[in-house]
Order: sequence, then C-alpha cells, then structure tokens
Amino acid sequence: MVDVRLNATINGRKVSRDAKPHLRLLDFLRDDLNLTGNKEGCGAGECGTCSVFVDGVLMKSCLMPVAKAQGAQIDTIESLAKSGELSVLQKAFHKAGASQCGYCIPGMVMAATAALRANPFADREEIKERLGGNICRCTGYQKIFDAVELARDVQNGRVPATALLETDTADGEVIGKNVRRIDAPSKVSGRLKYAGDMTMPGMLHVQVLRSPHAHARIVSIDTSAALAIAGVESVITSADVPGKDGFGVFVHDQPIMARGKVRYVGEAIAAVAAEDALTAKRAVAAIKVVYEQLAPVFDPDEAMLQGAPVVHDYAPDNITKHIPIRVGDVEAGFAESDLVIEESYSTQAIEHAYLEPEAGLAYVDHDDVVTVVSPSQNITHHRHMLARIIDKPISKVRFIMSPVGGGFGGKEDMIYQGMLALLAMKAMRPVRLVYTREESIISTAKRHPSRTTLRMGVMRDGRIKALAMRMVCDGGAYGLSTEGVMRKAAILAAGPYNIPNVRIDTYGIYTNNTPSGAFRSFGALQTQFATESQLDIIAERLGLDPFEIRRINAMRDGATTHTKQTLGSVSLMRALDAAEQASGWEAGAPTVRGGTRGDLGHDDVRPSVTLGTRFAATGTQEAAE
Amino acid sequence: MARKRGRGMAACWYGIARTATVDRAAAWAEIDDGGSAKIVTGVTEIGEGILTVLAQIAAHEIGVKPEHVVIGDNDTARAPEAAHAGASRQTYMIGNVVALASREARKRLVDVMAGMWDVAAETIRTGNGEIWAENTNHRISMGEAVACAKNRGVVPIGSATFGTDTTAIADGKDGDGSGRPWQAYVFGCQVAEVEVDTVTGEVQVLAVWAAHDVGRAVNPQGVEGQIEGGIVQAIGQGLMEDYQLKDGHASTSGFAKYILPTSLDVPRVNSIIIEDPDPIGPLGVKGIGEPAMVPTIPAVMNAIYDAVGVRVFNLPATPEKILLAMREKARRETMATQAAE
Repeated sequence: MVDVRLNATINGRKVSRDAKPHLRLLDFLRDDLNLTGNKEGCGAGECGTCSVFVDGVLMKSCLMPVAKAQGAQIDTIESLAKSGELSVLQKAFHKAGASQCGYCIPGMVMAATAALRANPFADREEIKERLGGNICRCTGYQKIFDAVELARDVQNGRVPATALLETDTADGEVIGKNVRRIDAPSKVSGRLKYAGDMTMPGMLHVQVLRSPHAHARIVSIDTSAALAIAGVESVITSADVPGKDGFGVFVHDQPIMARGKVRYVGEAIAAVAAEDALTAKRAVAAIKVVYEQLAPVFDPDEAMLQGAPVVHDYAPDNITKHIPIRVGDVEAGFAESDLVIEESYSTQAIEHAYLEPEAGLAYVDHDDVVTVVSPSQNITHHRHMLARIIDKPISKVRFIMSPVGGGFGGKEDMIYQGMLALLAMKAMRPVRLVYTREESIISTAKRHPSRTTLRMGVMRDGRIKALAMRMVCDGGAYGLSTEGVMRKAAILAAGPYNIPNVRIDTYGIYTNNTPSGAFRSFGALQTQFATESQLDIIAERLGLDPFEIRRINAMRDGATTHTKQTLGSVSLMRALDAAEQASGWEAGAPTVRGGTRGDLGHDDVRPSVTLGTRFAATGTQEAAE
Repeated sequence: MARKRGRGMAACWYGIARTATVDRAAAWAEIDDGGSAKIVTGVTEIGEGILTVLAQIAAHEIGVKPEHVVIGDNDTARAPEAAHAGASRQTYMIGNVVALASREARKRLVDVMAGMWDVAAETIRTGNGEIWAENTNHRISMGEAVACAKNRGVVPIGSATFGTDTTAIADGKDGDGSGRPWQAYVFGCQVAEVEVDTVTGEVQVLAVWAAHDVGRAVNPQGVEGQIEGGIVQAIGQGLMEDYQLKDGHASTSGFAKYILPTSLDVPRVNSIIIEDPDPIGPLGVKGIGEPAMVPTIPAVMNAIYDAVGVRVFNLPATPEKILLAMREKARRETMATQAAE
C-alpha cells in the first residue's frame, strides 16, 4: 500500500510526513510522532483516553483513520502544558486528587477542557454529562468532578488561583494533610511513560498466538511458515523454556505458554517477535497448530462430580483449594435457634478493566541480566518464578515495575512476562508486547464467580447462634490466586460478629473458563455480600433495625474471631455509629419502608438523572411536557 | 410514582496485609545533600497514592518538606524487597518500614549534631527542613546539618525491615481454620440511598455514606479517593458488569459489551474517616483499598429491597432482573389476595 503524505498542524507545529494508510490517528501520533501522552485504552471509542482535539472538536483518535486528519489542526494532551506549565484545569486535577493510576487522565483532561470551553459556567450535573464518554476505573469520578468545578471557579474568578496551590505544611505537621499527589503533574500532562509508551533502540514487537479451544490436546505446532516471513526474528513455544515451567501466586500450575494441552480460550500457545507489530501478526497467523479436542467442563459444580473432565492431572477432583472454618457445634446451634433462614446467593465474574491493557518490555542487559519492565503488581515474586523458568540465578533476573495504569489485583499474575523474557533471550534484542483490550479481557484473570448457600440461626432477640456457609467458586483453568481468595473469603465470611457456632467451606474449582484470580476485596466481597444481605432478611423477620441487629452481634474490643484469634481494639461500633449519624438514618425494621421514610433526599444526595432532560429543559420545553 | 427510593446499610471487616502468612517489607533512607530525603523501596504506586503517602511519612519522620523527598522504587535489582502491591498492604507495610528506615537515618544525623552542640540527642528536634536543640540557640537547616555530618565522615542513612506476627490458618483436611491471619483489622459501614425506576427496572445509587477505620489517615484526600473508587467498582459489580462466557468463549470482550460505570452512574460519596490506631506498627496506620468495596453491594441490595420490596440474590442487579423480580412479587401478591378472598 502507498503511504499517505499527511500535512497537518499538530500542537501548533506544521507536520508533513508519510504515514502508513492503515494507521489510526492515535497510532500516527503515538508511534510516528512519539506523542504518547494520549493513551490507547480500548481501541473502540468507548473509554476516551485517546481523546484529542481535531479542529477544536473533541475526537477519539482511535476511531479516526490518519488520512482523515489531512489539513487538520490537531491538539493532543501535550499541547495543554506549554513548556511544562500546567493549565488551570491540570492544576485543579493535581489539587483535587483527581488522578490515581493516571491512565485515563489525559483523555479526561481533554474532555474536561472541552466541557469548560463549551460552557465555562457548567454546573456539576452538566460536567458529568460532558465527561460521559470517558471511563475512569480508579477514582469513582468524584474528585474529577471536584477538579473541573475548581478549575471552572478559578477561571471565572469566583475563587482565587491560590486555591490551586499546595497544602500548607509550614507548621511542620505533614501527616493528616492533603498534600498534593507527587505523581500527578506527570499524569495530568501525559508525560508519564507507561510500558506501552516506552521504546528501545532495535526493539522488536511481540504478538501472541492464542487458543481458540477451551480444552484440547496440542498434537503439534509448526512454526516454520512463520519463521520464513521476512522481518520475523524469533518464534517461541513451551518447547523453548529452558527451566522448570510454571507460575501462579500459590500453585505454579500455569506454563508461560500452553504445554501439551490448552485449558481455556485465549491461552497463549506461541509468541512471535518481529520488526513491526503487523509482521508479527502475520507470523502468528502462519503458525499451524493441530489440536485434538477434549471434553471441556464449564460449571464448577459439574466439575466436582465424579467422572467430570479433569483440567489438571494433579487435581483429579478439580478442587484447587478447599478452606474450612469450624467453631463450636453448628447443628446444635441451629437446633437452639428461634429462627433459621437459608438462602442462596451468586456473584458473577467481573473484569478488572484497568484502563491500561497489559504491556511490557524485556531485554538482556550488558551483565547478561534478563530484565522485564512491566506494570507488575508483584515484581518480587515474579523474579523468583522467572528465575526458575529460565533457569538462571536470581541475580540474573531483574523486574522493573513500570507505572501501573490500574491493577486491582489483575496485574499480580505473571501472565505474559515469561514470554517477553524468553523472546529477549532468544533474539538478544529488546522486545515489547502491548495487549489489545480484547486480549486483556479474554486472557487475564477475573473475579471468582461464586455460588453460596448460607444458613443462619438466630434467637428472637437478634443474637446469631449459628452460621453455615458453603461457597463454590469457579477458579477457571489455572490456579493463580484462587487458594488465597478462598482463604480470605472463608476467614471473613461470617462478618465481624460474635457467633458461637460456625461452619464455613469455600471451594475453588478448576474449569475450562477464563482463570479467576486476585481482584480487590479478594473473596471477602462474595461472602460478605451473602452475610450482610441475610442479616437484613433476618432483621425484617425479627422486627429489628438493621443497625440494631448488627450491634447486638458486633465484635467488641478483645473479641475472638472465627479463626480463634483474639483482637485488640475493634472499631466496628464506631463505624456503625458514624455511618448512622452521617446519613441521618431513620431507625426501623427493613420492611420495605422506602415509601414512608423521612430520611431521603438530603443535601448530600445527588439528584437522579434522566438522560436528555437537560436538553429538553433548555430547548423545547413543550415537547418534553 | 414510577421511581421509588429506599435506603439500605451493611457493615464489613477486613484484614490488612498478606493473609495467613508472614508479610514483610524493607526500605532504605538517606538524608541527602541540601537536606532532602531519598527513600528506596521495592514496591510502590499502582494508583492509590502511596508515593505521596511515603513522601509524607519520610518528611514527617526526618523533618523535611514532603516535596523534598525523592523516592526510588520498584526495581528488584536496585531496591530492597518489599513484596507486592496488593492486599491493602501498602500504607501498612511500606509506610511503616519507610518510617523505621527514616528514623534510623535521622538518628545518624541527630547523633552527629548532638556531639557537635554538646547536647543530649533527645533534646534535638527536626521539622520543616530545620534541625535544632531545645532551649538553646542551636538551629540550622537540614542541608547544613548533612554537610556537618559528612565533614565528620558520616553519611546519614538508615535501613529497616518490617514484618508481621502472623500465622497460617489450619486449613488442612480436618482443619478448623484457626490461626492468626492478620495483625491489623479494619471495620466499616456504609449506607446507600437508591432510586429504582419501576417502569424500566433501572437502579440509580444516589448516595453512599461510608465510614471506615483506616488506623490513621496520612492523606485524607487519598483515603477518600480509595473509598470513592472502591464504591464505584462495587456498584459496577452490583448493577451492571458481567463477564459472560459461552462454552468458554467470552461474549463481552470489549467495552461496548462489558458495561462499566461512567460519570453518570456514580453516587455522591460521603466519606467518614475513623482513626483507631494500629498499636503494633510505628505509625498507627492500617489500610483502605479493598475494604472500601466490601459493604457497598449488600448496602445497595438492601436499599433496593427497601424501595421496591424485591431482593436480588444473584448479581448483577440488572434492570431485567429487577423487573422480573417485581413482576414475580406482584404475581405472588395477587395470588395471595385471591386465595384470601
């Protein structure tokens, strides 16, 4: 294909360059012009972190072919902080604590800039609507709204510019103050380099071949056609692993590429390093794999049945981990109870959806140290595992944690770093891998989906006498963090309550689904969802206020936990009191009394949203009525 | 009224740092030329704001301004082991160990100055970039003090390790789960106010009041950020997110199908920070990253029940599920009425 000669004005400077016609504007800006401030989060126009101005209009640059930019004036995040001086809005993001991981922030700053240009007096609700095309996974948006409101008020002269300055610590007291984030200036200006923004001289680009099958034996892998393509430097499969293959947070059951069989759709089978990503993609397509289909198992309860397909030979019952907690005599406790309630609950798999898809670089340095640069949440453990996998002493393995564009547990697994290290060793050149959003979603860990049965026995006065819980979780094809998740889920399952008789069993089960792994709140979310729902069901039956039933059972200072640990200070009662008071809670049993409550709609509640009403209100009022 | 409001609450507890195993972390500290501080440790930022928290802690312990703290980090070949970025452990494990390393560096400097000024080391104070001896006229900048130390052949450095007194739990075949999984526990409680559209089944979470014990809030704005972000992630799981597989193939492999909370989906979050200091660590800090998420979903489900009398047992509480549950409830009520007649 013939290159496009692109003439445009980019960040105020004339640019005249040849560009590959298949490029998106985002690729051209990031790869050809090294303007990496705007990021790629989804490649589908959904997340907004790639947003730039095209002739002054906010556009998602991942959706725009580069040829469409012919003659246009394009402004990226780099245009806002001229010579390093942050704009008022960027300073407001800094001051308000509006950036966390920072990966969505370049697009968010662009969208907020557009919002205040469109309406310098936009109120909070209008700001929310105008930021509706940008996803942030860290902040919960609240501090972003605060920042835009602060910038608006400074720009309009309603608050002095000094409101943007650093918190005063002249009294020498530093702890307990809202010191501005030290990493925010580089995040709000797009200067911070995430792994996918980094390049090295002579760097190769990596692409991964993934399994189309959930459970299949690999009969053969033929990489010869891939290696024959010009520009392909190296192709690796599990046969290239020099040491003892296997990683995982607890059980090292996952090879860095499928070994002998594939266990889930999306599992890595081979990886290619080539001069450019397109060549690497072509090479991946040229790898021939012969599979022999195996019966899959997708349901954890079915996987526990006798005769179910076995995912890992070492676990013939497909149980990754079972955690028991036993206190007292639970059946006697139920027999003594005035009321016994049993319910079932389930929670679904969810995706971390950190805005930064997985990315990493690897190289072998001048001291023969195999070095991996990636947004890993656990470089310590990763280097131990990689040393064993590549059969090198730990001093010859180095992990550098690049800025993490959101983790939430999802970047604790060494899911791709092994492939990078192996390719760097084989090619003896730097290599880089950047996942697409789709790769990230299908091949990395999810939150464990759960099925829970919960039985609770209580006395008429609200005291819990017995609790029995059984939770079965789909751990997917590999162990990752399943063992730890089951443990934390079980330990915390019964909630912060004194219960004399407890029986808890959590099971993590292998299936041929996407692996489940670490996810913020690590099992405790699943079990406490059940317990806290059930407490309200019981409170209604007993005519008790929800706070009251919790107070009756609350652990106090010196309590003994369900794992028989003696606690010191227990702040639960303080937390109950504080939430009750702050919300102005109207006491009463939870008997569907929403229609008669007197505590709704306080000043610290946001208005409800009806999409489109804003436009009706300012435009055709009659039509809306 | 097509839209009905309700409120619900839920409590939570959580353990801080790694579970049922010994957790540990190390750090190095140096008071550098000019009176700035250099901190090196093996794991820091994943977005939660720990870099700023560590700068505040080092500044507090050494007596310099937070903007004069430089942090070198996250390199297994250049920084001491500090384990992983997770388990709500950063402020607790890394924060405490940076405090200890900073104290040792400060002690080196203070000992030099005590000798020079001929005062007891205990009378020496540092803060805001200065060092002085109580009840004397001795007061110089930290930069000058570092120069004094170096002229006497002393580089003011410190190092520290911080470990937890924790055990595995008995989780073998006949185990009862007993053990000491954490040394620091936090507790929390949230109230949610929701509005349920009885025509569409859509739920809006309008407000959450979130009271969480964090031990000691080093940076209250950062704590709020964790609470707000955690609540919104929980609302995602509670109401809309759903990773779906069909025969092992994902049908939600992009953000067009995998629905995430946007700016229009989020409640007003009212955070109440409770400080019940940890008695074991040097700072009293605990953690907040994960516990902030735990009570939100049951609080919202309890609030939906309060509003429309249906309870969602199987997440997420999508509009379709709410409508189905409401229809089922109406059917049961009609049947009960007919039976009574």
